[in-house]
Amino acid sequence: MELGLVLAIIGAALATFVAGIGSAIGIGIVGQTAAGVVTEDPDKFGPTLLLQALPGTQGIYGLLTGFLILQRTGLIGGNPLELTVMQGLAVLGAALPVAFVGWLSAIAQGKAAASGVLLISKRPEELGKAIIYAVMVETYAVLALLMSIMILFSIRF
Amino acid sequence: MAIAKMHKVYLVGHQAEKERVLGLLQQAGMMEISDIREEDADCEAWAPLVESDQALEAVQELDTRLGEVRFALDFLNRYYPAKKSMLEALGGDRKRFTEAEIRSAAVGWAQLASQVYTDLRRIDEKLMMLRNEETRLQNLKALLVPWAGLNVPLEEIRASSAVRMELGTIPAAELPACRDGLSAAAAGAFVLEEVRSGRQESFIFLAYPAGSAEEVQTVLKERNFTRQAFPGLTGTPSDNLTLAEKGLAALETQRSEARTQAGRQVEHREALSYYQDFLTMERDKQQVVQNLGRTGSSFIMDGWIREKDLAALNKSLSAYETVEVVSRPPSEGEAFPVVLENNRLVAPFEFVTKLYGTPGPSGIDPTMALTPFFIVFFGLCMTDAGYGVVIALLAALGLWKLKGSEAVRKLMWVLFAGGISTVVFGALLGGWFGVEILGAPLFFNALADPMRMLVYSLALGLIQIFFGMGIQFYRNIRAGKVLDAVYDQGLWIMLLVGLLLLAAPPLSGIGRVMSLAGAAGLVLTQGRSQPTLIKKFLSGLLSLYSVTGYLSDVLSYSRLLALGLATGVIALAINTMAGLLGGSVIGYVIMVLLLIGGHTFNLVINTLGSYIHSSRLQYIEFYNRFYEGGGRAFVPFRLKARHLEVAPEGSETAR
Repeated sequence: MELGLVLAIIGAALATFVAGIGSAIGIGIVGQTAAGVVTEDPDKFGPTLLLQALPGTQGIYGLLTGFLILQRTGLIGGNPLELTVMQGLAVLGAALPVAFVGWLSAIAQGKAAASGVLLISKRPEELGKAIIYAVMVETYAVLALLMSIMILFSIRF
Repeated sequence: MAIAKMHKVYLVGHQAEKERVLGLLQQAGMMEISDIREEDADCEAWAPLVESDQALEAVQELDTRLGEVRFALDFLNRYYPAKKSMLEALGGDRKRFTEAEIRSAAVGWAQLASQVYTDLRRIDEKLMMLRNEETRLQNLKALLVPWAGLNVPLEEIRASSAVRMELGTIPAAELPACRDGLSAAAAGAFVLEEVRSGRQESFIFLAYPAGSAEEVQTVLKERNFTRQAFPGLTGTPSDNLTLAEKGLAALETQRSEARTQAGRQVEHREALSYYQDFLTMERDKQQVVQNLGRTGSSFIMDGWIREKDLAALNKSLSAYETVEVVSRPPSEGEAFPVVLENNRLVAPFEFVTKLYGTPGPSGIDPTMALTPFFIVFFGLCMTDAGYGVVIALLAALGLWKLKGSEAVRKLMWVLFAGGISTVVFGALLGGWFGVEILGAPLFFNALADPMRMLVYSLALGLIQIFFGMGIQFYRNIRAGKVLDAVYDQGLWIMLLVGLLLLAAPPLSGIGRVMSLAGAAGLVLTQGRSQPTLIKKFLSGLLSLYSVTGYLSDVLSYSRLLALGLATGVIALAINTMAGLLGGSVIGYVIMVLLLIGGHTFNLVINTLGSYIHSSRLQYIEFYNRFYEGGGRAFVPFRLKARHLEVAPEGSETAR
């Protein structure tokens, strides 16, 4: 296997696991807070679960970028392209925005969503606002995903 | 798009008719009753005439009774959960009564409630006592179990003048050393029987002459002996164990008896829930009374009502001879409670508006303006026709089945519209469950040409932002602030359009002129509220920096592309993974499960994401241009009943 292709595979792996780690931590943070709130009021399970799901998207964006890399380089389908080292590096570069922004933004979003859980524990009618606060963080993960995809589509193989 | 016109209403009448007027208002549910004491401007003249009405005691009394009914219902629901389907829980099924029927039934309900309450309270106490007794017996049992092998009646284990006997535990490792120590201390005249040897502890029976008690105690202390006494118990430990077992069985019988007794009250649950509603109704009424003013024999209240309900209010109150209604539109700058009014198609989207907050009385209801954008954005964030069909079908099913909660129905409407939009944009730009079953997308494949899609996304963003500025322009004009409209919106639009034209070569000349003129205008006008000429110029210059805000707002719409791609690519990934399977029966089964599970997951996650991000684009990027918040939602005084419904006087009661 050529080095170029290996670099592309590393890129796909990075996008998936770095962003995935972030989501796992983020969801964990929200889960801890939510569990505390639900001990007091089990009826809050639904809304807190909704907030807990929010930092999960970064992991999905990472997976999606990883999948796109495998698809673009022909690794899925069984006919891998012959990538030069430079092409491989470019693909690896494409993975970086979603990997790193995904990782850190998921943690930050987890914290915002955990505070949102506390907000709705006192004021359940303000669920919408709690969600919006968490989604403000998500914007940057979306932008990173966008850049990863754009780079990936702009590389000529 | 409108905020309903409100009128301030004053009601004056005779005390004798107060209760009935309040009942009528509660049923009509169209008037918000304010606290008369906050009415300082108008109240000055009356202040000496009016004292605030005190209904505190009545409220407390009703609250106590409500507490009792709630206790009874909670108790019954705990042991005999009411069977109700999710539909009922969401929808609710109410029984109709006329006012008179309620009044006559309430007497019976009150008696029933107090009887049920006393009964259930007694059972509750009994159950509590049984629980305590059970804990005691369980603890005793745990203590006795290790001693089951001891064949000595417990009452005989005591200290006499000649011999002392003791039970206790000692760390297992210390046992040999203890034995040695004791034979030295009591000179061999002692009995040490190990009743049971645990892994860490030994349970021992000790007997020794009273004469050597002191020495023995020293040895025992050294070896960490812990004494165990069973005061008050007679018979051998195993006798006592049997007794405890019997006691526990008897408790269980008593408990089930108590529960059966409680079960006899289940038939009253329905009546109790009606009574609960009745009490809540009365309590709410008495709470409102506290907001009223009174003189010796008259009452006065004030509040807000929608202009269009005014005639109905006058009509329904005309039956009351002494009641006089006076109303007026809100005075300039007076804050009135806000009701959003939209036609039936748009009204569900008030759900989106209210998630953010209530617009201020002098603001504008953004519902109508955001509805088309919301629908389009939702569809673009999903961009899969197959998912759209599923969402629309599920929402339609919800609309058909869930008759109850207004909020849930609104959400279903919003999702239905979003689902239809998803079908349209999925057919134009994406696939069906990630596959191009029906040939290529009708417009172009967003997945294959994301750059083109990005341009469209940003263009949509520009349209919405310009539209928002247009609304503010219109608001300024309508408020007579023509100059503000020209300076704050007109010049910005000129600058932004100019900058856009710069990118289109044949028009870049016009673009240059427009953007320069716009920028110059902004520098000259944006500092107009500053006192000195230099400050005017500086803050005008600084205002140009806001161009970055417009830029980032437009770029924010790129999420439409990103989220649309995310849905499509994940669907594709699920299909690809499923495609690798197959070949054997098990393979096909897993393939089908993977397809169903994967697409369901993708659908749920992306519906949530699409809803949230479409809302966010309204709240942050769109509202920013024109929205004025800080309103207080209109809360009419109305029935808050879950189980009963009040039919108008004289009408037939159904069922």
